[in-house]
Amino acid sequence: MSALEFIFVPMVLAVVLALFFRGESSISKFVSLGLFSYMLSFSLSLFEKLPKVGYLQLGEFLRVEQFDFVLTLQVDMLSTIMLTLTSALLILVSLSSWSMKNQALYYSLLIMFSGAIFGLFMSTNLLWFFIFWELTLVPMYFLVGVWGAERRIFAAVKFFLYTHFASMLILVAFFLIHKESGHFDFTLVKESMLLSPVLIWWLLFIGFAVKMPIFPFHTWLPDAHVQAPAPISVLLAGVLLKMGAYAMIRLVILLLPETSQEYAWILLTLGLITMFYAAFMAIYETHLKKMVAYSSISHMGLVVVAISTMSYAGLSAALYEMIGHAFIIAPLFLIAGFFHHKTHSWEMRDMGGIMQKAPYISAIFVIAGVGALGLPGTMGFVGELSILLSAVKSFGLWLIVVALGSMLGAGYIIWTLRRVIYGEMSEVVKKSEFKMNFFEFISLVVFALFIILFGLVPNLLFEYINPAFSQFSSLGGH
Amino acid sequence: MLSAFTTLFASALLSLAFHRKFALKPFALLALLLAFYFTYEGAGVALIGFATNESVRLFELIVTTVLFAFVLHEEEDINITQILFIGASSMLLLESQTLLSFILSFESLSLISVILVSQIKTTSQAEGAVKMFIAGSLATGVLFLGVTFYLLGGGELLSSVEANPNSFEVLGLLLMLGGVFYKLTIVPFHGWAIDSYARVRETHAGLLSGVAKTVVAVATFKVFAPFLAFDVALTNPLLITLALLTMTLGNFLALFRKSLAEIVAYSSIAHAGYLLLAFVAIESKFSVDGILYISIAYIFMQSAAFLVLDILKKYYDISTIEELSGFASQNAILAFFFTLQLFSLAGIPLLAGFLGKAVVFYAVVDAGLWWVALIALLNSALSVGYYAWIVKSLYFDKLSAKKREYISIKLPMVAQSILVLGTLYFGVFAESVFR
Repeated sequence: MSALEFIFVPMVLAVVLALFFRGESSISKFVSLGLFSYMLSFSLSLFEKLPKVGYLQLGEFLRVEQFDFVLTLQVDMLSTIMLTLTSALLILVSLSSWSMKNQALYYSLLIMFSGAIFGLFMSTNLLWFFIFWELTLVPMYFLVGVWGAERRIFAAVKFFLYTHFASMLILVAFFLIHKESGHFDFTLVKESMLLSPVLIWWLLFIGFAVKMPIFPFHTWLPDAHVQAPAPISVLLAGVLLKMGAYAMIRLVILLLPETSQEYAWILLTLGLITMFYAAFMAIYETHLKKMVAYSSISHMGLVVVAISTMSYAGLSAALYEMIGHAFIIAPLFLIAGFFHHKTHSWEMRDMGGIMQKAPYISAIFVIAGVGALGLPGTMGFVGELSILLSAVKSFGLWLIVVALGSMLGAGYIIWTLRRVIYGEMSEVVKKSEFKMNFFEFISLVVFALFIILFGLVPNLLFEYINPAFSQFSSLGGH
Repeated sequence: MLSAFTTLFASALLSLAFHRKFALKPFALLALLLAFYFTYEGAGVALIGFATNESVRLFELIVTTVLFAFVLHEEEDINITQILFIGASSMLLLESQTLLSFILSFESLSLISVILVSQIKTTSQAEGAVKMFIAGSLATGVLFLGVTFYLLGGGELLSSVEANPNSFEVLGLLLMLGGVFYKLTIVPFHGWAIDSYARVRETHAGLLSGVAKTVVAVATFKVFAPFLAFDVALTNPLLITLALLTMTLGNFLALFRKSLAEIVAYSSIAHAGYLLLAFVAIESKFSVDGILYISIAYIFMQSAAFLVLDILKKYYDISTIEELSGFASQNAILAFFFTLQLFSLAGIPLLAGFLGKAVVFYAVVDAGLWWVALIALLNSALSVGYYAWIVKSLYFDKLSAKKREYISIKLPMVAQSILVLGTLYFGVFAESVFR
């Protein structure tokens, strides 16, 4: 398949599957597994073809000369890494949704989502980028709204409206970019071409900040995370938030470097606030999944801090942390969802002593937990350390406060482990059976292996991450 | 080049003579196909006061296609005849070049619209029809007042609009626009629209708000463009205020409605605001593409939305959001089509509604009014609220009330497929419009 087909074949396929298969038919499940594996192999094959600097052309389609409306597909190291991460996560999410109800429709929506997200990471035309940006909302809206918990409809509509409002700011910014520079293709736009870079910066910043999410635009995420089914929470944290971070790096930092330099302090301040605020909320939370959700937001705050350094080291660290965050938060969400499924409670006080009942799953929860708090030997440690170092290098020694965030993380994670995994076995746990589907367990094991593997040998990733920003290493000036 | 008009008009007259009613539908379909062919070939004779160009021809083709779907959907003979009449006067209006031909064809379209809604069966329909009749007469009055001022200022009705009007002529033209805005349901001239659209039969409302409105918008833009470009400092503040008021009011009021017809009617008002934005952006070279694109998108999705409402009411007896709950499990395909059209109305990409809005809003930004585009876009985001609510009801809610039997709906579903294809096609392949 060509690059274009990786976008549109899934979308058409999704509609066809949804119309022809109903209920518990497992055809869509296998189709989606096959498709996502194929997408992964395609993304991996791109690494070899990438040029040292700049973009690999994948073709131009649907050209409308008069409006500069062209589906230009180009990838560089950054987008290829995102494509690989996304397709890997989609496979693992498919595995971990193995016993989902109403499967046929569920997997069709996942397939539709995969097409949109591939388009997003491959398109360099801003208008098409926006189209795919919006298209990811539609399957997500249904995935949260149909398969979610009690207040799923509220969460789905809030998520849809909130992010859609933010998108409108982005679209105006894109229009302004085209009006002032004459291009929708962001690889051709230079900041010096723009007449009102500050206005565009603010529109883009707020638009992407909602998606990431950065305090005070984060309120949709705890609702969506808590109401969504566990695999969809993984997709939210692992792909949707990453879209925001990807766009923030690509279209704010790299497209408007001078204005970003000027406003780096805003990014830094909001990043720190996000990190500490979410960490405190996580400590306070007794709802297991909300705790994980706030921990996820706190880590995204860390990514924002790394982005705000605008340095080669900082951006690499941000990208590493983005991947690490995806692999660490995913098993936490999945296992939290599993515990809820078995104990019918979200409250940590109802749990306790699960380790004795389900040792393997609890062990993976512990691995992911210590990854989240940044224990050496896990991805969390490498990510947090490299962010700390780059921030201190860029902004001065006072940014040692970032380490404080990790300490807070240690607080809520260890306390949670104490209350949920170890300790006295509660009445609820005594009555519950903890049996997990084989495929769901496999996906957890893979996550745990990744956390340790890339934690012990971070160069496996940095080998690819560093070249993603090598062409920008002259930028930033730090 | 009025062959299409002649075909449609003649067949409409002929259709009145039909005794064997079963033949009427094929006959009307054939007439529309012929009209489509003539328009496509550009055949016909030129008439003084009328002219066409590529954009108008494209729009005529689309109007013919949509009317084709209407005829497929419709079952009552008298309505089919009137659809043909509406087609004929739409052709006339779209091709009119001078003020006189514009006013005459505008009035003929209004007249047919009134006749259309006057097939009254219930008191509620009567109220809608009477309101529309009174509003229409008022609009005509205002329009002719404008004509009087225009003539007083020395304007000519037999030529195009004065590109450099004096103050009397400006007043006259503004009044004429005011008269036209009644038909376009621009706030504050929108009062009649909700009652009319929500009370008359859904097919009629679809014809009025889907077809007639877009035809009027495109024709008005074509005829009045020189005047709009004449003194932007004078007209734009007025138009911007009206456009923003229209879309904001339409969207806010739609948020709190329970009846499906009322929601779609309010959304129709909101869309009139978006249409008006193309008038605002007259200084941008994209304004022509803008009005054309949003009209094309709108004619498909709005007509389809009302036709779905008609099916829902006729076959399933559903007219409010609550009754709609869980409908997707009853007729998955219709629910899917309806969802596509609603998402298109909401401006979700890969559907015509998105590109239509994108082009108009881009034209507005291009004209230097980025804040107007921003308010319009936020409005559009607000509108997702009620569209998503309908979709929520379709899919997420439990099936309401009694379990109904499976109902086979053939021709109306073919009509829906045509409209969905239009929405999808113009959502991806923009080339055909910009050419």
